[in-house]
Amino acid sequence: MYRRHRVIFVLLGILLLILVDHLQSPTFAFNSGQGHAPTSLIQLDTGACAPCGAPCPSARD
Amino acid sequence: MANLTDTSTTVPTEAAPTGLRIDGFVVLVALIGLALLGTLIWLETAPFLVGLFFLGGLLGIALYHGAFGFTAGWRNLIVKKQGAGMRAQLILIGLASLLMIPVLGSGQPGMIGAIAPVGLSLVVGSFLFGLGMQLGGGCGSGTLFTVGAGNLRMTVTLIFFIIGSLLGTFHLPWWLDRPGTDPVNLISELGVSGALVLQGIALLLIYLWVRRVEFKSHAKVDSAELQIRPTEKGWLATLLTGRWPFFWAVLVLAFGNLLTLLLSGSPWSITFAFGLWGAKIAQALGMDMSVYEFWTWDFPAQALRDSVLVNVTSVMNFGLLLGAMLAAGLANNFNATGANPPLLKPFLAAVIGGLMMGYGARLGFGCNVGAFFSGIASASLHGWIWFASAFVGSIIGVKLRPKFGLPD
Repeated sequence: MYRRHRVIFVLLGILLLILVDHLQSPTFAFNSGQGHAPTSLIQLDTGACAPCGAPCPSARD
Repeated sequence: MANLTDTSTTVPTEAAPTGLRIDGFVVLVALIGLALLGTLIWLETAPFLVGLFFLGGLLGIALYHGAFGFTAGWRNLIVKKQGAGMRAQLILIGLASLLMIPVLGSGQPGMIGAIAPVGLSLVVGSFLFGLGMQLGGGCGSGTLFTVGAGNLRMTVTLIFFIIGSLLGTFHLPWWLDRPGTDPVNLISELGVSGALVLQGIALLLIYLWVRRVEFKSHAKVDSAELQIRPTEKGWLATLLTGRWPFFWAVLVLAFGNLLTLLLSGSPWSITFAFGLWGAKIAQALGMDMSVYEFWTWDFPAQALRDSVLVNVTSVMNFGLLLGAMLAAGLANNFNATGANPPLLKPFLAAVIGGLMMGYGARLGFGCNVGAFFSGIASASLHGWIWFASAFVGSIIGVKLRPKFGLPD
């Protein structure tokens, strides 16, 4: 049986990590009025050769 | 009905209580989590990411209530010669192909399939992944949804999955320089209808082979993958508390992948986020990620530089975790294995399996979702090679499971 406080503690910990990461990000800077912050709201890389952004093997020759 | 998930997961089993008894605390916490994070994404990013977050939640519910893990589906076929789980996966991929290949073939700008190179990196990576998923107790999606459902052993698997993914990002450029070719896109080679016909024939042949394997061993075939009506409870009770017939999960997962493609521009994936989370933690601990070639490529570099809340894979994974938690609460089955004492050998299997899956997912350009499901549904040859190679790895992984005290 789980302990309720542990569940809440773990979830709050994850939320805190997400917040820390977000508060240091260009997206947060942009939202805070720094209009020139280079955000990447749409990160799709149509030039890549794989979903992870890897280049094509032929481009590495 | 056969169970598609690993035996160590926390999905409802025949022994689980039936009816509408729910775990109110877990349901409430999951709903608050969904509302909080959903609001944060709404305030800080864009509406399409909010949609993807809740779509991730729906996929988590479907995976949990449908008991839809890829690992045990393969193992049941290999060990028990029971093929319902594998056949459900084939139907899922067939339906997703029907939905997604015409969309991808329409050539809309800003939309790309799960296409990846074919070579030694793919073969080695998917083999390691297939082996690791039998030891770790779940694949990419299986690990996530069982962690959301409070399974502690799978949390160990996830932690080492993340570490393995990070190691994979360090080595992927080296592997890419080994023998291999550029992606082979069957839509480009054969057209939309050609790709659909070829994949349809291939999936049908495998489907029939799986039925034959089961029939030869059991003299009958349990067609659980085709069942639509709930067996234990009424429709509404089953919808809320599970367990869903496989076909319900198949519908949600296939249409969910299509919706992911339409909203984000690329199909559903899971494991890129694991490497990203690992890299962010390593960077926070003082590591300079820019010395690793992988993290200088445009897409990973952008993702590393910016918030996880604008990374589609991360956002969907957060939703999936909370969705699975909600489903486990509704099924009154959260942390169901929590009373089991931690044992050394299964713990070691979780560590090794997690590392192998993480490393393999990076070399193999994804996991069972990003490479197998989305890859084949995008008509990419790499998805088929991933399937074959990971299945061979799984056969070996299944044989190793008893050495780690893991049941068949």
